[in-house]
Amino acid sequence: MNAPPTLLSRVADHQYWMSRQIERAENLARLVRVSEEMLLDDETLGSGPAQEEYWTPVLRATAMESSFRALHPSPGRGDAARFLTLDPRNPDSILSCVRQARENARSVRDKISDEMWSELNALHMLVGSQEGIDLLARSPHAFYERVIGSSMMFDGITEATLTRDEGWNFLRLGRLLERGDMTSRFLDIRFGDDPDDARASLRWGAILRACSAHASYRRLYGGEIAVANVVDLLVFSNEFPRSVRHCLRRADQVLHDISGTATGRYSNACEKITGALLARLSFSGPAEVMSRGLHDYIDELQVQLNAAGQAVFETYVLLPGEVDRRFGRLGSGDQASQWHREQQQQQQQ
Amino acid sequence: MLLDNYRPADLFDELVDSQGAVRPYYRGLAERLRGLNQEELGQKLRSLELLFMKQGVTFTVYGDERGTERVFPFDPFPRVIPAAEWERIEAGLIQRITALNLFLYDVYHAQKIIKDGIIPKEVILGARHFRPEFVGASVPKDAYVHVCGTDLIRDRDGRYLVLEDNGRCPSGVSYVLENRSAMKRVFPGLFGAGAVRPVDTYPADLLATLRNVAPRGNPDPNVVLLTPGVHNSAYFEHSFLARQMSIEIVEGRDLIALDGFVYMRTARGLRQVDVIYRRIDDDFLDPQVFRKDSVLGVPGLVDAVRRGNVALANAIGTGVADDKVTYAYVPDMIRYYLCQEPLLDQVPTHLAWRDDDRKLILDRLPELVVKAADESGGYGMLIGPAATKAQIEEFRARIITNPRGYIAQPVVRFSQHPTLVEGGLEGRHVDLRPFVLWGDSVKVMPGGLTRVALRKGSLVVNSSQGGGSKDTWVMVA
Repeated sequence: MNAPPTLLSRVADHQYWMSRQIERAENLARLVRVSEEMLLDDETLGSGPAQEEYWTPVLRATAMESSFRALHPSPGRGDAARFLTLDPRNPDSILSCVRQARENARSVRDKISDEMWSELNALHMLVGSQEGIDLLARSPHAFYERVIGSSMMFDGITEATLTRDEGWNFLRLGRLLERGDMTSRFLDIRFGDDPDDARASLRWGAILRACSAHASYRRLYGGEIAVANVVDLLVFSNEFPRSVRHCLRRADQVLHDISGTATGRYSNACEKITGALLARLSFSGPAEVMSRGLHDYIDELQVQLNAAGQAVFETYVLLPGEVDRRFGRLGSGDQASQWHREQQQQQQQ
Repeated sequence: MLLDNYRPADLFDELVDSQGAVRPYYRGLAERLRGLNQEELGQKLRSLELLFMKQGVTFTVYGDERGTERVFPFDPFPRVIPAAEWERIEAGLIQRITALNLFLYDVYHAQKIIKDGIIPKEVILGARHFRPEFVGASVPKDAYVHVCGTDLIRDRDGRYLVLEDNGRCPSGVSYVLENRSAMKRVFPGLFGAGAVRPVDTYPADLLATLRNVAPRGNPDPNVVLLTPGVHNSAYFEHSFLARQMSIEIVEGRDLIALDGFVYMRTARGLRQVDVIYRRIDDDFLDPQVFRKDSVLGVPGLVDAVRRGNVALANAIGTGVADDKVTYAYVPDMIRYYLCQEPLLDQVPTHLAWRDDDRKLILDRLPELVVKAADESGGYGMLIGPAATKAQIEEFRARIITNPRGYIAQPVVRFSQHPTLVEGGLEGRHVDLRPFVLWGDSVKVMPGGLTRVALRKGSLVVNSSQGGGSKDTWVMVA
């Protein structure tokens, strides 16, 4: 028998990104779906920001504002939703996320179950096809449900079919970090000054729905929607599975599973970052967030989450700097990757 | 119903004889096929293609920025080979791979075959894939071609002829395995009880073949598959085989050669590699030795191979054996090394570097097939009867400038097999690529990949140019 399998660094990277990108596609679908519903509300109410301004906060929270403006200097109706959903020119659209996830999956095809592959491949076939374009035009709601459902199905299939090895850990890690990150972005969607409390609570309600958190919210805080409570649930809850703290706690556990370090201690940069962040979340609460300002607080959180992702890459994917310098790695950039692709295609018999 | 309107053409037909009668070994299958109508068959076929697409059983079409993936078209009418016929093919293939391995050992050592005047020195030294830097180097168990995918066609009389020996990195075996499992799933009713020989031991046999060449007889070697990457047309196959064998699939950038050993980079540091089933060409293996611009290879790999710390399958330099000029000498090789007559015939071949042959080739270009000696997979070819005047003149000039680089063969209108097309069954040309493994013992997978030229009248079976495939049934008896 072969020695117990060890995970290639590149494979760890693919597993991590595959699940991150699926989770990102799902969250984008959640976001666009709920934004479109709110837009309908606004139009019915005949108030709210002008159509072309409506999407700005969403684009800003997902860091796509400048790339959108570059393509659509004077956006018309539906441009933003299309840009976020099926635009291949947008490297962060749902379509692009699914494509990248599937490309990563192709590279680790032998490491995931057939059912995982089939599910992701089916989603890829849908979003890349005329069928997908038609479905989006006919029933945006149904389209986004499909994307969300497929991502959740993928998660469930993974849970039910994948061996609990190192690859599984990297896959979970990617998903959890992305989910925590996206939840924090949802909170950062600022729709300017709401004309009245009713409108504000409508918006916060929509964000809760986007995170599948409305039922939990009602159970915990009753029917009335208050910002502090929303923040309490989506940032600080230990129990709600999409909250930043919950995702981080699990990601931290996964990191410790990978390294074998005892919980509460750290053996590398990423464990140090997630550990420190968790401690911070444990010793603060909505009151502090509100007094600091929601946006600033979220901003800092995102900086730390990015740092955690970067530390994962440096710890597990890059080799120690010395080895990398000795063997010049493949350069990056379009030209190098085009060259790489051409050479790959020259091998055949 | 389906078979009633089938019209064989004026060449060897796999299903029916010259009188139009179904051959005895096809009768059971033909009977079972009668139960299906055209519509049902088409429907099942579409569901199968969807299944392949969903499973990603695809090849990548080049020349497309996004690297479009396509399903390798599949034809549901299996090709049948009776047991006795297969026995003769198998013996011929074993004889051939044996001779090729002896030949490769010889040309990289004493070169007796040259000294004894069997093959001219120029033929070997002039082969583009000959690696003079490996003369005198040893490989584990003197095995050069571990995996061979010999292409066979059948002439008018049904005689099997070797078209080429693919002794570098032959591909296609994954389709054989996928086709069989798809047939079982979608057309279970077509299989008679236990009458078809199974193919599914191939991955285990391949793994045994690879482990067999582990350096210094290491009983527990780390075996990996080296792929060019996801953009290669055969990537599906690489990934499929790695999964079936439970070995790592690696890219060049996953490997590092350090002080004469090869390691893979894992999340827990470096781990030594013992055997590499490589699916990239010699030229790209190691930028320190071969192409300097290769980004697919591993700097220092060749040095590790030379020191005997890592084994490659297939070995470096096997391309000299499937050079098209060398091909013409394989029957002589068999006589020389094995003192046997070749069991399999091959296509008569004219060598442009011989003065008489060249004159004949240049006189008869419009009726011959001309091939570049160092190409494979249907590249660098001229099919005289189908070529334009300009193409013929272009090849004439090329042959005159580089006679060692070209050979010519008569056009063989090889056998056809009923194939499902719009409107029913029609004959389409088929070839056969069996896979032979050279390990502790020689194993020939029963059957192999039957490729079919789906365009009417076309003799080109390559997947990139309108080819498809069908399941191949070697009967138990």
